Amino acid sequence: MKNSDRLIRAMIWDRRRRAFFGVLRELRHDRPGFIGLLLLTFFGLFALAAPLIADRSALLAASGRNNPDLAAPSAKFLFGTDEIGRDVLAQLVWGSRVSLFIGLFATLVAVVIGSVVGLVAGYAKGKVSAVLLAIDDFFLVVPFLPLAIVLAVVLGRSPLTLAIVIGFTSWAGSARLIRAQVLTLRERAYVERAQALGAGSWHVIRRHVLPGVAPLIIANATLIVPVAILTESTLSFLGFGDRLSPSWGKLLDGAQSSGSITINAWWYFLPPGLCIIGIVLAFTMLGRALERIFDPRLRGR
Amino acid sequence: MTTPVLQVNELQVSYHAHSGVVPAVRGVDLEIAHGETLGLAGESGCGKSTLALALLRLLPPTTKVTGSILFAGKDILTMRPGEVRAIRWAQASIIFQGAQHVLNPVRTIGRQIDEASETHGMNRSGGVAELLEIVGLGARRAKDYPHELSGGQKQRALIAMALACDPMLIIADEPTTALDVMIQAQILQMLEEIKRERGLSMLFITHDLSVLSQIADRVAIMYAGRVIEVGAGRDLLREFKHPYSIALAASFPVIGDTASRRNPRGLVGDPPSPNDLPSGCAFHPRCSVAIEKCRSTDVVLKSVSKSMDRRVACLHFGGQSD
Amino acid sequence: MSWRYLLKKVGGAFLTMAVVVVFNFFLFRIVDRDPLAKYRGRSKLTPEQRETMIRRMGLEGSKWDQFVVYVKSVFRLDFGRSFDSTQPVLEEIKMRLPATLLLVGVSTLLTIFIGLYIGTKAGWRRGSRFDKASTSASMVLYSTPEFFFGMLLLAFVAGRTGWFPTGGLRTVGADHDFVGNILDRLHHLVLPMLTLTLGYLGSYALIMRTSMIETLGEDYLVTARAKGLKDSEVMSRHAVPNALLPSVSLIAISCGYIIGGAITTETVFSYPGLGLATANAIQNNDLPMLQALFMLASAAVILFNLIADIIYAFLDPRVKRVE
Repeated sequence: MKNSDRLIRAMIWDRRRRAFFGVLRELRHDRPGFIGLLLLTFFGLFALAAPLIADRSALLAASGRNNPDLAAPSAKFLFGTDEIGRDVLAQLVWGSRVSLFIGLFATLVAVVIGSVVGLVAGYAKGKVSAVLLAIDDFFLVVPFLPLAIVLAVVLGRSPLTLAIVIGFTSWAGSARLIRAQVLTLRERAYVERAQALGAGSWHVIRRHVLPGVAPLIIANATLIVPVAILTESTLSFLGFGDRLSPSWGKLLDGAQSSGSITINAWWYFLPPGLCIIGIVLAFTMLGRALERIFDPRLRGR
Repeated sequence: MTTPVLQVNELQVSYHAHSGVVPAVRGVDLEIAHGETLGLAGESGCGKSTLALALLRLLPPTTKVTGSILFAGKDILTMRPGEVRAIRWAQASIIFQGAQHVLNPVRTIGRQIDEASETHGMNRSGGVAELLEIVGLGARRAKDYPHELSGGQKQRALIAMALACDPMLIIADEPTTALDVMIQAQILQMLEEIKRERGLSMLFITHDLSVLSQIADRVAIMYAGRVIEVGAGRDLLREFKHPYSIALAASFPVIGDTASRRNPRGLVGDPPSPNDLPSGCAFHPRCSVAIEKCRSTDVVLKSVSKSMDRRVACLHFGGQSD
Repeated sequence: MSWRYLLKKVGGAFLTMAVVVVFNFFLFRIVDRDPLAKYRGRSKLTPEQRETMIRRMGLEGSKWDQFVVYVKSVFRLDFGRSFDSTQPVLEEIKMRLPATLLLVGVSTLLTIFIGLYIGTKAGWRRGSRFDKASTSASMVLYSTPEFFFGMLLLAFVAGRTGWFPTGGLRTVGADHDFVGNILDRLHHLVLPMLTLTLGYLGSYALIMRTSMIETLGEDYLVTARAKGLKDSEVMSRHAVPNALLPSVSLIAISCGYIIGGAITTETVFSYPGLGLATANAIQNNDLPMLQALFMLASAAVILFNLIADIIYAFLDPRVKRVE
């Protein structure tokens, strides 16, 4: 690698690092955003610490054989037990990984599809753009939950399939946003200049357009995660997902179908529900704060 | 002497921003007599539009406004909200700049004009139709929505709206900006006629000095939240005294003089930001005749002629340099 | 509104629906190679019965032949027979539609009115105590899966107090007169309705608040105040009509989501509408039922969008003459 290349690379990384810390600094002054970040850190640590809190074998159906069913919280089971005697806390801790994984993976799928469609639809002209817009329109209009349901029924019920299905049904809005941003960017002088200098489309997109839409993509992705987690919990509640490696939504499904509500076994259904609310709130508050930071016009919302 | 239609004393307006208190208007005195037009000129950001909104207490509630604003002798700053609303449009109306979104896009022109007279319980015999005829739009336009009018037509509609309650004073805030020269001239002439026929007083705000020679009886020049020169229109526009006024006048091309169009003289640099005003005379960093004392001495308006009418805020005039 | 605008929007709606129909075929006949494999009772079928089912489901011949048969049956609203009940899917849907329409209809109206009211007031008095409280509450409501509201209501309201029934459409076996019957049904409707309303209130309030705040920066509100209008008049005549505009299409889209929300809510309360039917169809891999329900939900959302476009044209004169 040439020395000048290395220098440029270092400069780019320095700029990125400073931008990152700049955003963090601004987040400190944005109260909802800061609370969101704290909550998120908490849930992140919670998921990372799962093996320290409970053994994974506690998820197995056999693990509850000798325990009382639907027992109230006690010293042994801080969050009580489920209908087959398994520790609710263990399922809650390990469930955080499942919920977060599906939420993040689905978002990755959605962001990749949404960014590609948005970038190309905004940058290309004519038929390509028109066709992409029509596809985008279709996915915007078709109700995403019923769509996700039929896709999951046909494609399979595993958590990974769920994540892909959720991602596949939730990219349309971000494609629209990114396209609009690209349209304004391509009018900017530096993009026009790059084009005039004969730069290829991909070069212009990668070097000039993508950095311009990156903040938007990041803020938007942060707002897709909570929707993906909510969709996942809904689908799990309706019977998709894996009972032996339950997400928080799947736990709620278990609580519902085991009749824990009728006997008011609150320790079974309250914790996963509150966790879903907490993580969704965290991502939403952080995402809205990022929007405010990246787009000063939204200040004061 | 009769009471002036509008008398403004020591008006101060400051906004609250993240960086602290930002002064936009810093001690302005104005007076407008019956049937008189006062032209108020200055660059954008000098506080002239803030002043216009402050007159009818239309600034956001967090804005701090002190001094007094007397309409027919009564101070609007000490009135209760109901009394303020009664003054708005009935005693003083505003002609906003039509190029901006000052008309509600989802209501017809007619309804928006009618709304003003309705609010103040005035049922004009001719109604909206007559008003639209006066401004040369034609009664049929009442059913149109704002987006269906051209820039000049919108400006006419706004003038019709300003006349709806027969006010004594009209505050015209850049009413001809963003219009092409031909339409600008038509609108100005129309305003002049309407004013004369109805014996109206007017505060005419503009950044374009050339417009004022046609319409203003007296002229005040504003810079950085203050009036820095004021005098009778003809007198002042014939010979500016304050270095800023001279520079401002020179920055506009003279019609017929192609050299001035190609090479505008006058103002260098940008007007100061209100939250970072220079010390002393706020104009000194851009002034070609500034002396050391201008940095430190806060200058005020002083009479420079025997008629008491012409006043300038500059150390070089009125014996202030002594 | 010009005819051209109307025609364009109606045409667009039909086109989208056509894509839904084709997509449906693609998903259930091509991606899913053997739809019958999901039929639980298939092992007990005699070869003749199997033949009959394949014929009934239109799975004979080439994919193109199947497509033609499929499109024809869609036009006849013939979605085959449910794997589960073996009744015609259309009959099942017809039977359950009224209950869902009642539930979703009432809660959508409630959500729109309450949500828009809260959002308007919060945006108008931005930064006030009401704004802070209602925005925080809306965020929490938005972050809660609606079925969790249902579970909470069931456990802590119905379970503890016994004031409301825990599920169903009406009291089974009760002998009511006409009025008593209506009251009994309303009694059963309260908690599911509350669940759906709470579930969607937050997003409506947040949408309207944002829209209102955007409108508050507009110059024409200064004009309105300058004319001497009272604050309440400025709000109702100038701010709200404009702030509603962007909300209309967003609300249309979320009306579609509420259909999805009814699925889990009806499940929690065993409320026998289309939502519960969907949940059961998922449990039983009831493909014919799911196909029909998916198409119905899509048709409903497409219709809502069309209605929103038409309402929009009435609210915003700028749309009308756009050719």
